[in-house]
Amino acid sequence: MTATTKSLNLPVQGMTCASCVSHVEGALKALPGVSDVVVNLATNKACLTYDPARVTLADMTRAVDDVGYTVPTAQLTLDVRGMTCASCVSHVEEGLKELDGVTSAVVNLGLGTARVTYIPGVVTVSQMKRAVRDVGYEAQERSEGADALDRERQAREEEIKRQARNLVIAGTIGLIVMIGTFYDMLGPFKAFVPVGLSYKWVIGLLTTPIVFGPGRQFFTNSWRGLRHGVTDMNLLYATGIGAAYGIAVINTLFPKAGFGGEGATFFESAALLTAFIILGRWLEALTRGRTSEAIRKLMKLQPKIARLIRDGGEEEIPADEVEMGDLILVRPGESIPVDGIVKDGYSAVDESMLTGESLPVEKKAGDNVIGGTLNKTGAFKFTATRVGKDTALAQIIKLVEDAQASKAPIQKLADWVAGHFILGVHMLAVVVFLFWFFFGYRLFFDPNSSFILSPYKLGEIGVFGFSLLLSVTVLVISCPCAVGLATPSAMMAGTGKAAEHGVLFKGAEAIENASKLQTIVFDKTGTLTKGEPSVTDTVVSGQWAWMVDDQTTRHPPLADQLLRLAAITEKNSEHPLGEAIVRGAETHTVGTLAEPEAFNSIPGHGVEARVEGHVVLLGNRKLMRERGVDFSGLMSQAERLEGDGKTVMFVAVDGQSAGLIAVADTLKEYSVEAIQRLHKLGLEVAMITGDNRRTAQAIARQVGIDRVLAEVLPQDKADEVKKLQALGQKVAMVGDGVNDAPALAQADVGMAIGSGTDVAKETGDVILIKDDIRDVVVALEVAKATMRKVKQNLFWAFVYNTLGIPVGAGLFYPFIALIISPELAGLLMAISSVTVTLNTLLLKRFKPSIRREDRPQRGAGERQSQLAPATASGD
Amino acid sequence: MEHEQVEKEVARKSALIYLPISIGAALLFLLAATLLGDYPVVAKIGGTVWVGLLSLIVSMPIVTSRVKRQTKH
Repeated sequence: MTATTKSLNLPVQGMTCASCVSHVEGALKALPGVSDVVVNLATNKACLTYDPARVTLADMTRAVDDVGYTVPTAQLTLDVRGMTCASCVSHVEEGLKELDGVTSAVVNLGLGTARVTYIPGVVTVSQMKRAVRDVGYEAQERSEGADALDRERQAREEEIKRQARNLVIAGTIGLIVMIGTFYDMLGPFKAFVPVGLSYKWVIGLLTTPIVFGPGRQFFTNSWRGLRHGVTDMNLLYATGIGAAYGIAVINTLFPKAGFGGEGATFFESAALLTAFIILGRWLEALTRGRTSEAIRKLMKLQPKIARLIRDGGEEEIPADEVEMGDLILVRPGESIPVDGIVKDGYSAVDESMLTGESLPVEKKAGDNVIGGTLNKTGAFKFTATRVGKDTALAQIIKLVEDAQASKAPIQKLADWVAGHFILGVHMLAVVVFLFWFFFGYRLFFDPNSSFILSPYKLGEIGVFGFSLLLSVTVLVISCPCAVGLATPSAMMAGTGKAAEHGVLFKGAEAIENASKLQTIVFDKTGTLTKGEPSVTDTVVSGQWAWMVDDQTTRHPPLADQLLRLAAITEKNSEHPLGEAIVRGAETHTVGTLAEPEAFNSIPGHGVEARVEGHVVLLGNRKLMRERGVDFSGLMSQAERLEGDGKTVMFVAVDGQSAGLIAVADTLKEYSVEAIQRLHKLGLEVAMITGDNRRTAQAIARQVGIDRVLAEVLPQDKADEVKKLQALGQKVAMVGDGVNDAPALAQADVGMAIGSGTDVAKETGDVILIKDDIRDVVVALEVAKATMRKVKQNLFWAFVYNTLGIPVGAGLFYPFIALIISPELAGLLMAISSVTVTLNTLLLKRFKPSIRREDRPQRGAGERQSQLAPATASGD
Repeated sequence: MEHEQVEKEVARKSALIYLPISIGAALLFLLAATLLGDYPVVAKIGGTVWVGLLSLIVSMPIVTSRVKRQTKH
């Protein structure tokens, strides 16, 4: 191996035989700069030598992929401490990406994490940690679940304590320094202040521990970064504090040096600037953790103890030791430790913490229960079906964490801007210095001018002191402290808020895209509708009404009697329409359904049965025509129902027309409300279905759909979405996460609805846990609120800089004879960070326009809407 | 180990570029201050140091990252 070449053990997956070995070897050897390739089938590794100047690891990975094998990657999350701004984000990311074997690195400033995708064996975790340390930050591997929660909280508390300690030191001494500096202006209060405090050397002595104590962090961090070619906000602070302190020391020790003399010592600037910057850091540390409260809430739901039934007795074990198949007992008021199926018992379970469903859900034998939810009333036993990382709660936590660790496109832009901003600011500081040194001071300087909000006159300050002051102020006031927090803090709060309502965003990009949507396409069957036929109408023939009247009373109502007869006739039928009639009769409480005395299926036409001594014929129009039953009096009704997309079945009793029963796939209970809300949000709503146009139009009319895409085969749904996108529309597809996967993937935002809690399996950018179509509205409202917050935050982050830089650079000095002091600039920057974080916290008050409390008891609405009996006069 | 050696090499090569740049900028300032006006010596020296420092801060990361990229490829 020469000095310019490197050796590498590249893991390769998918090789099964010697021919695979030769394929991989051939592919790698074909790359320029790669030599000595030896592929080992047993170890699944390719040992090779390569010239990094001619070939990259990405080239090799691609070459292996191209011949049908894969270079496996793994993911790791590092907790990174010490990041304060967007430029820190890019430094850590670049530091990690520079390592051979790291394929991607995404840093989240809000969470203080770096998610690294790497090739195991090529790069080690310790190398990654060292790379992060090399650019000036601390890194450690992130632990899972409760451990991570504890570690994160501990780290945050440590940071808060550290900055609080620094703030107490810098704030207290800084206050004393300020009193000493303005001693002459204290008036009657002078009597309470020792005169020695006003001596410059005393003020200098007091300022020194602030600069080298609490302020030391800025110097050490910026130096570590500079050594590796990176600049961050620490550098702005360090140059600002350093310059103010350095000049003050020179002017105190050598007043004749010409830097402005004793009248231009900036000790208070150095002291207060440090104090204000630390105030900003402390407030940031305090508030930053709160934006990730949702994830902590979810983690806290993880129960600690499970009551295991073993050998007939109860045993308390840690919840994470429960194994699949274990029988668990849950008593009233206890949390359910893992996911499972109820074996015995009955209870109501509060699932609101995971699904957002406000009403307790009844659980009986055979029902699923979710780990982390709260058992309210009864005791029950259940069999564990999903444990550890497979539980719904663990999957949801993982999904929300992943979403919070991802980056929205707007954030990438903000990070890029902030990353380059700091260098730009230093260049600007040079320009400002040169201008005031060579031109400005001579043309505009007024000895009676002063700092804004300060009686302190600039007096005898010299050309260098004045120019330096403005240059330093520009450095401090330009600091993009808040830019790095603006987007991730809002994204974290938004994804957390959505999760509280059972809406899981898979990434920050999904939130950004969801906020820009123009068209929502709903899959019809199973999404807008229940996906199974139900009885919608019963029409009683006047002739049959007369017959019944003649023999019995009208109790129960005639429509119910007709339905009961039809249900008994269909009781043994396996036809979906027959099953719908039986279900309809059962829900409509028409009494017990006896067995038919005789039953005969007429394939393609209907059924015939003897019920309670009557011959009941149930089937289509053709069957009735063949049997000579006259339905002319009900034909207009039948045509109207068919026009509404319903399937009409004709019922004849003893050879006479008895009535019609219409069956259709009915709307879900909240479909109409959801579509109305979407319209209010200004969105176009489309429906996609394989049904014929007439049926589709009928459903669309009921629900208020704007655009109908009918007779679309399942495999063509993605193409229909593509057509809408080609019209320039931002399209969301709402559908079943499994069946509609291609269309969900094609859409700008794919929403998988009603997935339940097995969220890991779902395709789509947004997962709606509940089978409630109104959550589409919740998802869009959360996304819009989050993006609104992001934009507000970016505005607040940049407005201070935009307004502050010209003032700091002395643009208005010739007119107002006032300049901003470095410490005031520092205070403004601290305020900008706090403004952004507090603005994000307002997102906690977000409430979707649809309130869960408005929902009627589950099932009640279904019963009300299912049957709309009608009677009609027949012939 | 190899990584550290590369880093050292990058740092050395970079310093050979950014130090002359920042010293050059500082000297240019000194020259301008001497030629363009009657500035006190201390102001000239202070200005030279400040311009040199800011030039170092600006050039150091730009040069280092560029050298690092070149070394890698």
